Amino acid sequence: MIVWGMVLGGYPRSRLARYALRDAERGSIPYLELHKRIALASAEIIGAQKAAGLPVVVDGMVDWHDIFRPFIRSWRNVSVNGLLRYFDNNFFYRIPVFTGEPDIIEPVWPQRVREYSLLADPATLKVVLPGPLTLAKMSEHPGFRDEEIADLVANLLSREVSLVQEYGVYVQIDEPILSDRKATRDDATLAVDLASKILGPVSDRGIFAVYFDFPSKQVLEKLLEVKARYLMLDIEDSPARARENAVPLTGHVPVVGIVDGRRIHTDRLSDTTVSIVKALAEETDEVVVTTTTWMDLIPYRYALKKTSILGEIVRELASRVGGEVRTLWR
Amino acid sequence: MTYEVPRKFPTTVVGSYPKLPPAKEALRRLRKGLASEEEVRPLFEEAIKGVVEDQLWAGIDIISDGEQTREDMVVYFAERVKGYMPGEWVKIFDNVYFRKPIIYDRVEWTRPLTVQDWLTATRYSKGRPVKGILTGPYTMVEWSFDLYYKDRYEAIIALAREIRKEIEALVEAGAKYIQVDEPALSTRPWREEAEIAGEALKILFNGIEAKKIVHICFGRVEEILPYILDYPVDQFDLEFKNSNFRLLPYLKEYGYNKELGYGVIDVHNTQVESVEEILRDIERLMNLGILPPEKVYVDPDCGLKRLPRDVARMKLRNMAEAARIAREQW
Ligand SMILES: [Zn+2]
Repeated sequence: MIVWGMVLGGYPRSRLARYALRDAERGSIPYLELHKRIALASAEIIGAQKAAGLPVVVDGMVDWHDIFRPFIRSWRNVSVNGLLRYFDNNFFYRIPVFTGEPDIIEPVWPQRVREYSLLADPATLKVVLPGPLTLAKMSEHPGFRDEEIADLVANLLSREVSLVQEYGVYVQIDEPILSDRKATRDDATLAVDLASKILGPVSDRGIFAVYFDFPSKQVLEKLLEVKARYLMLDIEDSPARARENAVPLTGHVPVVGIVDGRRIHTDRLSDTTVSIVKALAEETDEVVVTTTTWMDLIPYRYALKKTSILGEIVRELASRVGGEVRTLWR
Repeated sequence: MTYEVPRKFPTTVVGSYPKLPPAKEALRRLRKGLASEEEVRPLFEEAIKGVVEDQLWAGIDIISDGEQTREDMVVYFAERVKGYMPGEWVKIFDNVYFRKPIIYDRVEWTRPLTVQDWLTATRYSKGRPVKGILTGPYTMVEWSFDLYYKDRYEAIIALAREIRKEIEALVEAGAKYIQVDEPALSTRPWREEAEIAGEALKILFNGIEAKKIVHICFGRVEEILPYILDYPVDQFDLEFKNSNFRLLPYLKEYGYNKELGYGVIDVHNTQVESVEEILRDIERLMNLGILPPEKVYVDPDCGLKRLPRDVARMKLRNMAEAARIAREQW
């Protein structure tokens, strides 16, 4: 069994990034200066992941106010409205409002990929996209049904992927709404169909992620059909539910959310967690350790610490399952 | 001086009020370390007096101190309970942050934290009762980091034991209405979470001689409702207006029969509800035929702190006028 690690998604902002965005909002620094400071902040985050030996890294997405915003801002016929609580976090996102069929004005990822791939090397950069179902359900779109918006969004995300695939990046689609206890099999079917379409051209490096809770049995069963090599599940947010619902992720490499991305304690690998991982990985010879969620809602210092903890948990899990560690450096 | 609270449709507030200029100045000086709590006390007293006068002018029956000394509903208590330390910056929305507090040791209540403000408000209230208002243990733990307790349950129960001491101090000072705010409860509307919060409430309220109220808002209240109906409280204070009274049919469905704090004022909208509109909204509840007017407390959805003062005043005034007319009708 090969064991390796990657961080799931966004990082919190360091002081440098916070101040850069504040100064830019006040109009006291020009765009190029903002860009430079954000690049510096991102370089630090990428460096931390490389130091922990993670073969796949994120740029930290520190300039994103929430997972939807950069896309909403670069699409026609969508704007943002008031604030709404983001899942069970004490964090609020701005509600996207679709006033017509969305279209790309300027893609979000190509320029980031060009810049951050160089910084990431020899690690591989990961591109993260909001899941069409989550975005549809968490936005307002008078005159459109959820499925219609999800479908339109999926088309735009497919174009993002076509513009970055030549760089060999990993591509992740986040559908946290599927962890909701009210999520249905139909929800899962729609999300899986659209993700399969988006990730199709990169399915070998495609990741489908569900977090904030462990999905129900009926949702999980459907997730197994997604055309993505990697399937990410959040174990540590609710180990009891994970233990009850876990099945072998046939046809996929399990990406297991073990390092708690929303709390600041020093994570330890429990026996329960190891047994859940074994159940999920029963039919595969590879497993990826990740954070339970993005880490953008803990203080920056702790996110850096958790990055190194992730590296250690990779080694510990490998030894517990008699596997071999794959790190960036060997 | 005594004041007779109307038997039917008494009016009240949820708690917070826009910060008046002296309170803003006091908080600024405290934040910058320019003055001690004692030194800024006269500024807070002036602010509380202003808040009380606004509520009397509007005709509110059961008033609050407007939470003028509290910059944040969790941080205020965390900064004053032993076992907590100030946290580092965590994103709350966009590029806006709060210092999410950290529990690092056994929590311990060492002195009354809200009684002084309650006494100040009572001094100016011309006999009208002032609600004692506290942040509940479930929300305190959910919106803090915990590095000390074994799990959330243990932390919540420990905090409940300490917060009870504040309730006892308020009741001893003469408070007849005690409200515990648990907004975090609607973010995880599951039976097991409701059970934890219920245990905590038993600890808080057992044997307390006062009107016992729990306030919950903004979230999936309808999903948590069936699990909380047997809480040892007299009244639930709930948000209705902002979610367009979505909750009403559920009250009937679940056979709701406690007193109800009925939120008829949208605190996220600066448009002032007219007397007719509020009357119509009261009528909606009464037409369900589930509660007599004696069990209906008319109030805003939540605290008014985000509104401009003039808007808050007018909203309360129209609300009180609508309740007055409703009393003649039912
Ligand atoms: Zn509230």
